Amino acid sequence: MRRILPPHLIVLCTAIAVIARTSCAADAAPAKPVDFTHDVLPILARACFDCHGVDAQESALRLDVQQVTFAGGELFGPAIIPGDAAGSPLVQFISGAGELEMPPSGAKLTAEEVAVIRRWIDAGAEWPGPPDQPVTAPLKSDHWSLQPLAPIEPPTVNDPWVTTAVDAFILAKLHDTGLTPSPPADRRTLIRRLYFDMLGLPPTPEETAAFIADDRPQAYAELVERVLASPRYGERWAQHWLDVVRYAETSGFETNVPRENAWPYRDYVIAAFNDDKPYDQFIAEQLVGDALGETVATGFLVAGPWDQVKSPDVGLTLMQRQDELADMTNTTATALLGLTVGCARCHNHKFDPILQKDFYALQAVFAGVNHGETPWMKSDREAVDDGLRPAVSSLQNEEHFKPIEARAVRFTIAATNNGSEPCLDELEAWTAGGESDVPAKSLNIALAEHGGRPSSSGNYPDTSKHRLANLNDGKYGNDWSWIAETHGTGWAQVDFAAPQVIDRVVWGRDRLGGYADRLAVDYTIEVLGSDGEWHEVATSAMRRPHNESGVMVYAGTFAQPAEPTRRLHRGDPLSPKEPVAPDSLTVLGTLGLALDAPEQQRRIALARWIASPDNPLTARVMVNRVWQHHFGVGLVDTPSDFGANGTRPTHPELLDWLAQQFIARDWSVKELHRLIVSSNAYQQANEPREQCVAIDAGTRLLWRYPPQRLESEAIHDSVLQIAGTLDLTMGGPGWSAFEPNDNYVRVYEPKAEFGPNEWRRMIYMHRVRMRPDAIFGAFDAPDGGQVCPKRGTSITAIQALNLFNSRFMIDQAARFAVRLQTEAGAEPLAQIDRAFQLAFNRDPDATELVAAQQLIATHGLPAFCRSMLNANELMFIP
Amino acid sequence: MPNPLSRSGLDLLSRRQFLGHTGVGLGGIALAHLLHSEGKLAHAAGSSTPADPIRPPIDPLRPHAPRAPHFAPRAKNVLMIFCSGALSHLDTFDYKPELVRRDGQPMPGANQLVTFQGENGNLARPRYQFRPRGACGKMTSDLLPRIGELADDICFIHSLTSKTNTHGPGENFMATGFTLDGFPSMGAWVNYALGSENEQLPAFVAIPDPRGVPQAGTNHWAPGFLPAVFQGTSFNASRPVRFLDAPAGVSPQSDAASRDFLKLLNDRHLAQFPGDTQLAARIASYELAAKLQLSLPDVANIDAESAHTLNSYGANDANPVKAGFARNCILARRLVERGVRFVQLFNGSYAMGEGVGNWDGHKQIDQQYAIHGPILDQPAATLVADLKQRGLLEDTLVVFCTEFGRMPTFQKGASGRDHNPKGFTAWLAGAGVRAPFSYGATDEFGYQAVENVSTVYDFHATILHLLGLDHTRLSFYHNGIERRLTDVHGDVIHAMLKA
Repeated sequence: MRRILPPHLIVLCTAIAVIARTSCAADAAPAKPVDFTHDVLPILARACFDCHGVDAQESALRLDVQQVTFAGGELFGPAIIPGDAAGSPLVQFISGAGELEMPPSGAKLTAEEVAVIRRWIDAGAEWPGPPDQPVTAPLKSDHWSLQPLAPIEPPTVNDPWVTTAVDAFILAKLHDTGLTPSPPADRRTLIRRLYFDMLGLPPTPEETAAFIADDRPQAYAELVERVLASPRYGERWAQHWLDVVRYAETSGFETNVPRENAWPYRDYVIAAFNDDKPYDQFIAEQLVGDALGETVATGFLVAGPWDQVKSPDVGLTLMQRQDELADMTNTTATALLGLTVGCARCHNHKFDPILQKDFYALQAVFAGVNHGETPWMKSDREAVDDGLRPAVSSLQNEEHFKPIEARAVRFTIAATNNGSEPCLDELEAWTAGGESDVPAKSLNIALAEHGGRPSSSGNYPDTSKHRLANLNDGKYGNDWSWIAETHGTGWAQVDFAAPQVIDRVVWGRDRLGGYADRLAVDYTIEVLGSDGEWHEVATSAMRRPHNESGVMVYAGTFAQPAEPTRRLHRGDPLSPKEPVAPDSLTVLGTLGLALDAPEQQRRIALARWIASPDNPLTARVMVNRVWQHHFGVGLVDTPSDFGANGTRPTHPELLDWLAQQFIARDWSVKELHRLIVSSNAYQQANEPREQCVAIDAGTRLLWRYPPQRLESEAIHDSVLQIAGTLDLTMGGPGWSAFEPNDNYVRVYEPKAEFGPNEWRRMIYMHRVRMRPDAIFGAFDAPDGGQVCPKRGTSITAIQALNLFNSRFMIDQAARFAVRLQTEAGAEPLAQIDRAFQLAFNRDPDATELVAAQQLIATHGLPAFCRSMLNANELMFIP
Repeated sequence: MPNPLSRSGLDLLSRRQFLGHTGVGLGGIALAHLLHSEGKLAHAAGSSTPADPIRPPIDPLRPHAPRAPHFAPRAKNVLMIFCSGALSHLDTFDYKPELVRRDGQPMPGANQLVTFQGENGNLARPRYQFRPRGACGKMTSDLLPRIGELADDICFIHSLTSKTNTHGPGENFMATGFTLDGFPSMGAWVNYALGSENEQLPAFVAIPDPRGVPQAGTNHWAPGFLPAVFQGTSFNASRPVRFLDAPAGVSPQSDAASRDFLKLLNDRHLAQFPGDTQLAARIASYELAAKLQLSLPDVANIDAESAHTLNSYGANDANPVKAGFARNCILARRLVERGVRFVQLFNGSYAMGEGVGNWDGHKQIDQQYAIHGPILDQPAATLVADLKQRGLLEDTLVVFCTEFGRMPTFQKGASGRDHNPKGFTAWLAGAGVRAPFSYGATDEFGYQAVENVSTVYDFHATILHLLGLDHTRLSFYHNGIERRLTDVHGDVIHAMLKA
């Protein structure tokens, strides 16, 4: 696997995700005795323990302790009478035969489950273990999405329609159902489909004409490549991701104040799609970009609402913080894993194998993450141009220089990032001739055990953790670091046992990721040569500034949590229970972290676990999202819920095959697009056929290409492109759809007039949480309050009013008319032709032509343009 | 104003028959698919337990068509009056003689008490005299005397509690059942469940205060994750629906001709996709828009009311805010009268200075409430009385509420009350409501609910129940969870229902 994290982080990450590979229990032979731990306990744990377990004991009954179960609670006597299932109140209640029906809410027990418990009780209700101790259920799942990806080959289908693997899967299923695919779409439809789908804009008349005229077999494949290479692609597909991560640029709640510096995250996502950033890297950067030179990417963690109305009321403050953490936890799980862990905030998940503890374990990963602004460190991607090295990292920095024979190394600090006394966790000097992780060839001669002798300008008075000897003790992290005596300045030196040729100095502030303060940002490294002179070998001037001219970005800010995370009884911050270490979900393995694991290391471990080919969910979930946007509906039509409450895939083998291809092709999203759009399933016609509608009205099996209503952004952008007003400037602060306002509780009054400053693509609109824009927001634009993995496709009268009557649209119609006059001259026939080409990429038919001529003659060109910009033909991906 | 019904508008109106026809073609089959898929979760959840979710079948061509409730309803529609900023229960409807007696004395335990803005001072008597009102003699204050006079028709609940003591989350909670942003409003739920009796008007209308939107803004009428078609349409007597008419410069003739040509384009396009529900629905949406262009100006034409009516509401009051609110109240009645399912009327706006635009009386409650009381009282009281006099209370449930209550103490060093979610008052009137009646009680100071302690979930469950809806079953699947207005909580307060 390609490395997504710097080598030192990989070394540090001791956690290896162990994926539970449970198999289906298909071998339920009738004679097999019922085992309590294996068979009974999971049922009781799911259905009963919430109310009769460790946290709650309704009617003083708990069913996780043998003594209490056999003695019974306040009512009904012993819950279980060994040997007498029929007489046991438990059995009566769970089977619906008694005075009560249990459980009172949530999923009931299936007949099979009741039968298992009956057989166990009739056989004597054997209950292993100490009778006075609570039992906990081993978590297992045979749910499809939690199983590892198994190798899959496309089915063999002998049919000329099948030219790609995707088609083989699709056609096999169509055949099973008695359906047949549609003929290929015509070229005009195909190019419009591809453009709207991939770019969110219609093709120009010229692009369309060229494609229609190009009858070479590779014409379509080349078109696909052009589309994938267009910067418009990232602008289109980034929006899908921003929906999934509840991105908006205001705080939400009643103040709803702007986050002026949130937009760099939006630009980061656009660039990630345009650059085809491998998805595993994309995930890692969003979770722990601060360790990967992509600070901006951690905007993901804090893209959600944040209640900034603060109070001295402790209960309120705790609840606000808990809501923040739950937002990060839920979004991470649902966006990246397709799991709705939010249910487990208050209790074990009713349907999925997610324990309440799991929620808090995941939350503990984010316990040190806060909303806020942080210095914007430009990424390595952007660094190539300026010839400078990346800005210093608080983790580890390497300084390479020409080999030089050295007797000592000295690290002199002129400034730290926060003005505090500088800190180094280790200062290493490596002999020339190899990489640092190949010690056979290269040696750290500064190391004490190799004879290095440290000295300094002065040492920090508190020596409980910070001592001079830590400078070259070979141990990393804040607890084994040296801190200087003076604020912002100081020097440290290591004299070697004997002169040797070195070519590298490696240093860090806290390589375990707990601390990022006290970081040397202005420094000089010198070595004492065999000539007895000090030679400068590296300085901070060779790096980009630690903070680019003070530019700040709204992203994660991080601090070591003061306290361990605790499980909260029923989600109440005032009822903390036992501490919970940061971790993944129990059913899928463990990160193996300590309660007080360094903050950044938690996120590194989680990122490695999620962005792993072994994680059964990550690739499946992303592949499905991409499929969803190509066809309107995912193979799983609950795209952020791959749990038991979600739907099963229509084509499970295809989903898994795509997931494997995705991983094998280096998590390339563009490769995924190629696999999908090159299929005949994607290129087929869209007309409904009655006999197919009768079988599959929802077109889930893809007997045709299903047309989809465009989203608000695509409608807005297409109108501007057709009118000739679209400004394709990329990136930077967004334009606003609202009048300026500076009330301390922001008031969002929609703009009445729009001008050239507001004619950029809608992804560059300043996103106000809970206030979609007044015109296009009505087309089911998400509000950023909750995640939106799948938009609605409402059709409403308000939409019609907005498109037909808003000043913005009337103005664009007028500009469209001016464009037609410019490009087609004064002759109405030519104007109409041009308008149809621009809006629909086709010629008008005779009826349309006559009616259009009449309209223009009577009421002018703008009246005609107004109709064109409202037409159904423009509002759907064909 | 000129008759906005264009020739083509009339033509579109007459095309109902066509639409009815497409409903049974391929579109009808597509609809069958839709209905089937709506029932998906019932299968996923397994056996038919009483808690099986109910997801109303939505006809995409007529998303606001009336739909059957779960059981016989007591009320057909709702008028909700929401007072933004936390209207003090202690100075209005929750009479606490002990507070008068111990005015200026410390509240036992309050010296350690830290509320939203910090420490508290001493107990402060109600700012207004309480007197018995109505035949029932309910003690209410002189702040809202006219509303007090309606006591015989009112069922008070004095024991409501909230989950939060900040306005945004508090208003979210009352409006959507969740303190967080992004959940569907109650009106959107009701619209989703029941549609509307009047398809010429929006099924759910939100009428913001003349001073501006409430503190949680459009969250009060937002669709959340429900389809956008169920959101509230927001307008008031002084601000019509945005983009209702073609802008200046577009003549009615030009408007009609553009519509005609659009219809021609869309009809020819539809012919290639016979029966496509989405395409047909989009054509229908322009027809409904044309209907709205007729019906909305008509319903909002407050000046069509008699001088007597206008005066009785206070619509000609010298205070423009009161006059504006009075006109909103008349608008509310006109909407209820025309069968709009859910009408939301706001009193108080976003914060424009603490307690200036709304009921958030932290520091100078006397001065602020003296302004806000008269704005609310006459218009709102006349509205309820007018509904009753016209027989509309037979079918209409009136809900009067706010996000939480206020402290019986003054804030330390101030002359106003801090937020208090531990006990506050709301009331119901009209269809299916037991009146006169007072349910639940706070302690002797009005600090916390002690008798029949109730939650906002219970309050919501009761409102849905009156509409014939089972709050445990009215659901919408979103992101892995079968969502409800009441989350996983709430019990209908049967004591508040008419026997």
